[in-house]
Amino acid sequence: MATEMEELVGFLSSPSPPVKKAAVDIVCGLTGSEDGLQSLATFANILLPSLVRLLSETKEVSQPAAEGLVNLSQNSNMASKMVTIGMVKTAMDLLYKPDTSITRLLVMLLVNLTQSDAGIASLLQTGDEKVQGLYVMKLVRSFCRSSNESGDDSFEHVGSILVNISKNEAGRKILLDPKRGLLKQIIRQFDSSSPLRKKGVSGTIRNCCFEAENQLQNLLLVSEFLWPALLLPVAGHKIYAEQDTVKMPPELGTALSIDREPVDDPEIRIQALEAIYLIVLQEAGRRALWSVNGPRILQVGYEDEEDPKVMEAYERIGSLLVHGNGTEESTAEATK
Amino acid sequence: MALWMEKGSQPQTESEIADLDAIAALKESAALELKEKGNEFVKLGKKHYLEAIDCYTRAINQKVLSDSENSVLFANRAHVNLLLGNHRRALTDAEEAINLCPTNVKAFYRAVKASLSLNLLNEAKMYCENGLEKDPSNEELKKLARKVESNIIEHQSHEAEVSNAVTVAKGLVSAIEARKLKMGKAMYRELTGLKKPVLDKDNILHWPVLLLYAEVMSSDFIEDFCETDMFSAHLDLIFSEDSPPLPWDTENKYTRDAIELYYEACSGTCLSTAKLLQYFLEGTAGANVELPCEDENTTGISSSTTISAGDDSASKWIRVNERRTLHDVLRESRFIIPEIPVFFVVSRRSSFYQVFKSGKWSPQ
Repeated sequence: MATEMEELVGFLSSPSPPVKKAAVDIVCGLTGSEDGLQSLATFANILLPSLVRLLSETKEVSQPAAEGLVNLSQNSNMASKMVTIGMVKTAMDLLYKPDTSITRLLVMLLVNLTQSDAGIASLLQTGDEKVQGLYVMKLVRSFCRSSNESGDDSFEHVGSILVNISKNEAGRKILLDPKRGLLKQIIRQFDSSSPLRKKGVSGTIRNCCFEAENQLQNLLLVSEFLWPALLLPVAGHKIYAEQDTVKMPPELGTALSIDREPVDDPEIRIQALEAIYLIVLQEAGRRALWSVNGPRILQVGYEDEEDPKVMEAYERIGSLLVHGNGTEESTAEATK
Repeated sequence: MALWMEKGSQPQTESEIADLDAIAALKESAALELKEKGNEFVKLGKKHYLEAIDCYTRAINQKVLSDSENSVLFANRAHVNLLLGNHRRALTDAEEAINLCPTNVKAFYRAVKASLSLNLLNEAKMYCENGLEKDPSNEELKKLARKVESNIIEHQSHEAEVSNAVTVAKGLVSAIEARKLKMGKAMYRELTGLKKPVLDKDNILHWPVLLLYAEVMSSDFIEDFCETDMFSAHLDLIFSEDSPPLPWDTENKYTRDAIELYYEACSGTCLSTAKLLQYFLEGTAGANVELPCEDENTTGISSSTTISAGDDSASKWIRVNERRTLHDVLRESRFIIPEIPVFFVVSRRSSFYQVFKSGKWSPQ
């Protein structure tokens, strides 16, 4: 059987188009099963470069090739190998070529590749100071410009890439850098109707909040967008009274004065609460939360909550607010 | 007697040798006499110090005395230079004295004194240590050593203060630049004095804010307005039901619901980064630090955007939405912060309101 497999992999580079097409279709099929993946793994060193070559060819071979790579990259060894042969750069280059038909698949590939530190470093381009963060900026721009509405949301998965890179400190630094303005763009995508996008944004913000200790200002200074993304999902179902909303900035107050769609996914609610918790660990974070009447929102939201894990997350914040200085309204000022 | 010698020739005859010896002896006694004369002049007082120095110099120039004798001359000259306040010369003299005779403790003493006066604290310390090595029980040197130590400590603590002040000021400048705020010259210095914004440990800015009641041009101060606070919270406190009405507001027109806040649009040109740093250093330990020359290209905070004050007087006053944070308002494109934020307070219920809104009123 080994020689048959070898032959198959060899056919990927065949000069004859129908042969190539047949080979890549078979390989793609094999990557869909555990056994297939195992048998292909032994030929990774020839297989991977051959598949990469096919990515820049016509749709009929590039699509199965891309699909095959996505499946293969779910295995961490394969993913590492791909990163070593510069797969991240290849994917990014192909992604932004005009008329590319495998956008969605390339993005999914990047999601898998950024599961490892090496993949993240490769995407962040940390090696080269001049271009550092360039790939990330391109992806964020594509993420924000495209949308769910057009039917084929090929950049939908970028949110998951962002979740992966934000697990890494260097990634968080780039995302939070006020000069790049990435955080603001990303947060705005929270309003999207695509659950995948919403989750990607929510997870990214939560991870970024791990920098609250050192970069609180980069989080708080986009508070106009940050608080709605974090507080609205956990504000419960009720319509808020005017005496509450008048103490909030309009972006919160208005939204809470009307009927709204609840956020069904408990994981998103937990992520929002974890993010708030991280911010509230810092004194300035607590102060900022009080200044938008945040604790009142959490109080009302908690009343409506039924999921035990989410309730726990509310309670954790609650105890911080009680033990941390709960009377942090504006400080006294002197009058002349 | 023939007193010249042919080049390269050695004294041959006994008489020639004797002559040379005699000259040397003469020179030597002349030098010693000069030294005594110098000492006498010093005792005679200030008016004679220069003469004393002259004597010592001439004695040295005889070039006949031994190293240890010359060392004494240099040390003496150093002493007079110290008395005259010629510290630099005193130091070189003392150093030469030490070179010639490393056990001349007086020379060390004078070297320390000179270095101290020149604020060369490291040299002073070194001379103290070397001197005390030679004469460990020298009380005067020990006293000087203590003084040097205390000067060094004071200097270091001052340096630390300056360095700290500079770090804080630079931190403020970079916080302002990161937030893309526009800073201009101060406008109401007599009211604000040297108050400055403060960066807290979470890197959040706290601003001192000036409130001007346009109608009467009286003022109020908010000492600590955190940039993440909303205006409404602070106004609630100032105009709360429990607080007394403003003394000049006899008709009680300035109530919480009636007041409106405005800022002046484009009120001047922006400060360059260097000027901004200077402003933040004013009144601190770092006030006299020499800042590097400003590079033509790095004018930091948009000093090139000299937004002219609108001739369109209607839009000169920009209303502040109370339910926004200070940071959001400061960031607005036409807000040039006059070193610290200034907001004008008017009351809808006062007749002054119409005048203000028509754009005909001006702070001057």
